[in-house]
Amino acid sequence: MKKIFAIILCKILHFMGKLTGRGSSLPGKAALGICRDILGRIELPDRIIAVTGSNGKTSTVEMIAAVLKGRGIKVVWNQEGANQIEGIVTLALSHASLGGRVKGDVFLIEVDERYAAKIFKYLCPTQLVVTNLCRDQLTRNRHPEKVYENILSAVRPQTELMLNADDPLSSCLARGRGKVKWFGVEKCSVSADHPTGAYHDGAYCPVCKGPMEYDYVNYNHIGSYRCPRCGHARPRPDYLGASVDLENGYLTTGSGVRIRLSLRSIYHGYNALTAWAVCCNAGIPGEAAASILSCHRLKNGRVQPFTLGSHRGMLLTSKHENSIAYDTNLHYIASSERDCVVLIIVDAVSRKYFTCETSWLWDIDFDQLNQLHVKKIILSGRYCKDLAECFSFTDLHNWSVQPDICRAVAGIGTRGSEDVYAVTCFSDRDKLLAQVERH
Amino acid sequence: MEIRIVHFYPDLMNLYGSHANVKVLRRYLENMGCAVTVRRLLPGDGEPLFSGAEEPDFIFMGAGTERSARAAMEDLARYETDLKSCAQDGTAMLFAGTAMELLGREIREPDGSAYPGMGLADFVTEHMESDMTGDVYGYTELYPEAVVGFMNKSSLIRGVETPLLTRLKLGWGNEKEGGPEGFHQGNVFASELTGPILVKNPRLMETVAEAVLNRRGMRLPDPPPRDTLGWEAYAVTEEQLRLRALE
Repeated sequence: MKKIFAIILCKILHFMGKLTGRGSSLPGKAALGICRDILGRIELPDRIIAVTGSNGKTSTVEMIAAVLKGRGIKVVWNQEGANQIEGIVTLALSHASLGGRVKGDVFLIEVDERYAAKIFKYLCPTQLVVTNLCRDQLTRNRHPEKVYENILSAVRPQTELMLNADDPLSSCLARGRGKVKWFGVEKCSVSADHPTGAYHDGAYCPVCKGPMEYDYVNYNHIGSYRCPRCGHARPRPDYLGASVDLENGYLTTGSGVRIRLSLRSIYHGYNALTAWAVCCNAGIPGEAAASILSCHRLKNGRVQPFTLGSHRGMLLTSKHENSIAYDTNLHYIASSERDCVVLIIVDAVSRKYFTCETSWLWDIDFDQLNQLHVKKIILSGRYCKDLAECFSFTDLHNWSVQPDICRAVAGIGTRGSEDVYAVTCFSDRDKLLAQVERH
Repeated sequence: MEIRIVHFYPDLMNLYGSHANVKVLRRYLENMGCAVTVRRLLPGDGEPLFSGAEEPDFIFMGAGTERSARAAMEDLARYETDLKSCAQDGTAMLFAGTAMELLGREIREPDGSAYPGMGLADFVTEHMESDMTGDVYGYTELYPEAVVGFMNKSSLIRGVETPLLTRLKLGWGNEKEGGPEGFHQGNVFASELTGPILVKNPRLMETVAEAVLNRRGMRLPDPPPRDTLGWEAYAVTEEQLRLRALE
């Protein structure tokens, strides 16, 4: 009885939420209030694919869903991005019959890496995909090894793992397990010989803490590693990105299949490869999966074009407390060629909780912006002085500070016509978008 | 004057911008005319901490994961005698984040196992399964301004008799929420506050710089030079946390 009541309540709240544009967590929260183990009491599709990790979850899930749908497979997935247990309950119950059967062929979920244990207690994924483990949201996650331990304790023996062969930390999840598939990218045009970035989490082996050796890295510490002390090394990928051509926007797999990349970045290359690997592993022919991925334009809104005065602008949504998300976007700006102005906003560190924590700013490689075409950098928002203190240690001199976001945006709008890149988080992006013309 | 900084394990123990502590102190001393050298000491280097009269003026270690800290301690053990002699001699040192735990007598793991720390202080660290994270706002007896920062630990530290922060209005201390935090004795400074504690607290940076200079028979100018951006950033966080502490 509790189960039916929870399902009905969730469906009503979800319907009302859709009308009012409210979040997707509340209905699930209410349902959990009535029936704590509701996820374990419903009948989910036979195939459950869960995607977790620090970066790339949302894009990867969106691309997997696009391929599955494109192949006529009925997929139930959390496109609203609510990836904690409440959001997943909302997703399941809003697609369930009153008897508790979720109608679909595949249940595809993005799972918050911290909530994996809570979710997998009731739901056993057929396959768990881990994109990577990097520094992210220290205020909740403490550090990547802690997140690793959380995921490790959550994984059920019957779940097949799809892991990033190039990530020395998340690849450890395979230790002592048989059911593992690997994806990875070979050395390519953007590879470096050594770990890159403002810090080197990959400098030491996550297994024995001995010094790690690298043949190459594709970004940060993601690459081909080898620990001379204990032997922990990059496994041979089952699904290989054999080459990446960012100039023309292609990734070519080990089997010779070409995937067009809608975003020309190595980070997106990894996401596309991961999605392709998951789809191939689910039985979809590689060519077919690649052709759908090649036509797919990401809809998760992290890149938002806009116009500001005579400027062509692009909002590159980063995640505060996540230096790699920032590095990704700074790298994108650095590799563009047209003259540009860069606006970096750190105003509210989080939209969900209070914190003044700004340590993570020191993990960002702002020196990437040291390019001739980056004409001006404006630092704005409440924590602009913290940003400025970081910049004062870079080789950059073309930066200035304007705490007031409205004034910073207006100041750019009234002068010049260079491209504008705005780099900020979900928590602060609307403060910019309210003042520009979106496309 | 030449100032020698030793940075212990700059990659292994470098969570969340820990390295910025060295950067900001170095720049501050350089701006006062000091020639500053920073020696990066890596695990396995096996080199002595100093030879002859070349004692370091400042020793720093930043935050790491629990497993990294344990690996750091395995290497640090060889420096125990030298570090103790430096501490007695008044060398300024800062152990920030989880590095603080290594100063104590012992570190106990949740599974009941334990490993010895340096024994430079008499406290004991107990690692827990649960996380203790959150903003911190507190006071030290060293100066009147509030100390701000972020706690990112899974441990309780018991037995500290001379804390760095004697009173907290917000956040986790050594043993409990709101309790005293860190360790301070002579010129040995330690706090579990994560990341760039000296950047976030310019007054603490000046205090450490003063300790470095005093040992060499120099004084900070009066008034001391100010890291203007650092103070402006501090003012924003201090106000936010002060208001938060009142709620």
